[in-house]
Amino acid sequence: MRVLCCEDDFETWRGQARGLLAEGLPPHAVVWEDENRPQLFAAEEPAPYHGSGAVTRVPGELIEQLRSAAQYRMPGRWNLLYRILWRVTRGEREAMLAGDCDGSELHRRIKSVSREAHHLHAFVRFQPVTNAADLDYVAWYEPAHDILAGASLHFAERLGRQRWLIATPRDAVWYDGVHLEYRRPCPAAWQARAQASSGGEDRLWETYYASIFNPARLNRQAMQGHMPLRFWKGLTEGKLIPVLLSQARAGSQKDGQAQGVKGKRGKIIRPARES
Amino acid sequence: MELIDKLTILADAAKYDASCASSGAPKRSSRGKDGIGATNGMGICHSYTPDGRCVSLLKILLTNFCLYDCQYCVNRRSSDVPRARFSPEEVIKLTLDFYQRNYVSGLFLSSGIIQSPDYTMEQLIRVAKVLREEHQFRGYIHLKTIPEADPALIEEAGRYADRLSVNIELPSPASLIQLAPEKRLASITGAMGTIDSASNESRADKRAPRFAPGGQSTQMIVGADASDDSRILHTAEALYGDYRLRRVYYSAFSPIPNSPASVPFQAPPLLREHRLYQADFLLRSYGFKANELLGATGNLPLDIDPKLAWALGNRAEFPVDLNRAEPAMIARVPGIGIRTAQRIVSLRRLKRIRFEDLLRMRCVIDKARPFVVTSDYRPRQDTLESTHLRSQLSDQPAQMALWA
Repeated sequence: MRVLCCEDDFETWRGQARGLLAEGLPPHAVVWEDENRPQLFAAEEPAPYHGSGAVTRVPGELIEQLRSAAQYRMPGRWNLLYRILWRVTRGEREAMLAGDCDGSELHRRIKSVSREAHHLHAFVRFQPVTNAADLDYVAWYEPAHDILAGASLHFAERLGRQRWLIATPRDAVWYDGVHLEYRRPCPAAWQARAQASSGGEDRLWETYYASIFNPARLNRQAMQGHMPLRFWKGLTEGKLIPVLLSQARAGSQKDGQAQGVKGKRGKIIRPARES
Repeated sequence: MELIDKLTILADAAKYDASCASSGAPKRSSRGKDGIGATNGMGICHSYTPDGRCVSLLKILLTNFCLYDCQYCVNRRSSDVPRARFSPEEVIKLTLDFYQRNYVSGLFLSSGIIQSPDYTMEQLIRVAKVLREEHQFRGYIHLKTIPEADPALIEEAGRYADRLSVNIELPSPASLIQLAPEKRLASITGAMGTIDSASNESRADKRAPRFAPGGQSTQMIVGADASDDSRILHTAEALYGDYRLRRVYYSAFSPIPNSPASVPFQAPPLLREHRLYQADFLLRSYGFKANELLGATGNLPLDIDPKLAWALGNRAEFPVDLNRAEPAMIARVPGIGIRTAQRIVSLRRLKRIRFEDLLRMRCVIDKARPFVVTSDYRPRQDTLESTHLRSQLSDQPAQMALWA
């Protein structure tokens, strides 16, 4: 059994996999470990394989699919990728398709990763930075997969020349208005700046959120399906959700009016007299 | 009045409009440019409220003062609700601030009718124009169009907005006369026609300025009048055909404060709304016709979805052999969506489709089972009567909520 470690880096893994293919090493004879540490069976000398040594051509589409699935965080994520690569280079192209048993797992991971990138675009909350010359906005975010490097340029498209920082427990990106700098691990100073900003209040946004909600249509299941619990703590409006849910349950379901509007004085408009 | 009080009132006043989509805009980016804002055609839901609705845009009214007296509307002139009015600058500031903090992807601005339809429309346009021209805002803008406004104003609105919408409000002309005395079907469809032809002209000439590239949408209120689902779906189908609407939104009539006696004061018919959306999706994406889903009168069943209902009513078309059938027919099988149908077609170029492939592609297998044939499977239920099949496949009744 060959034991490898690519430190969860796709290009490192790709280089290793290319070498193994040239060697002709089948997927059952290799295992990628998540960290460099001694393995129980690592000492066993693998049986020699005699590959062609030729560089194998792989469809570009497959590389992109593997690159994307590689961002899916789970122990042993690299082994499936090599098995698919191996099968495709041996002529089993269906290994890439969702109908295949490996392919379906590949596509499940790709889908989760792209959903998680979409979650980043949706649920990052930027706080304006008022006391620093080098930054306009900062955010702390905890993604479930390794999507930050690939998905964060989206914010440069949104925010133009503004400068921003997104830090996560694993890595970080800093955009200085022109270039994007990616760091892994996240520098401690960046992490401190981002974390100091999180959990802030924003009365205007909280007011909007509470007012645009229609308690007569309460549907907790639908909300939580789209915005699972794990995101709530990162959202300014997260702390309002339980309050709004219980208010709606306790009676404001009978019409849709927001609590904030109920106490205010109303005004009926009399049409101007025809002249 | 403080900004925060205005926001409380004018967001509350805007929530009965179901649409909040930020999709359909062309790709725009502010990277390396002055100004802010991007669109990519997809749209983003930045949050969800506890009613399960997506928060994609800052959806507010410019004002909820209104001269009209539409019975179903919380802002009608005879309604005793608090009133407020934003200045255009306040809306602009809120939009830019919310956008930069990544709360929203743009603005959906509507308004009560004040002074005159033209005046109201001019106010809406002014907000969009300043956002685009002075702040170089490239995010999404959806403007509500006032049907009676001058066509020249509607054309101007389309130069700044990604999407325009005119609400059809009710499924039948008679209901409109009864419940919305100041509105006229002719001016509503007239405005839709103005938008459609302006958008046609802009597409025909590449050098012409863009006109509402996200197209137009509308909203129909469900359950405020007695119209049945057949009337609603046929109206929607006609609108899709005549004015090439991107979307028809169905809004279950939700009880309003100070409710007049002319409209129901009941919990909104949410399941009915859900079935209408499903049926609408079948019209837009699956090539179904309203006539196939419903006769000249009648409602969609609530216990099963409209595609399953169609399949149960057309058993002669089934079972479908997934190794031979046309892709469009595969997509008509209950439990198999368009994407899965495409996947089946690409897989069958390589191998024969087996039943286990359907499991792997995550079809809704219980729904699909009676209607498909694969190389290793034929449905035993094929001869089972539709009524029995229906009782097996219908949604189980759910426990009612205490306050519902």
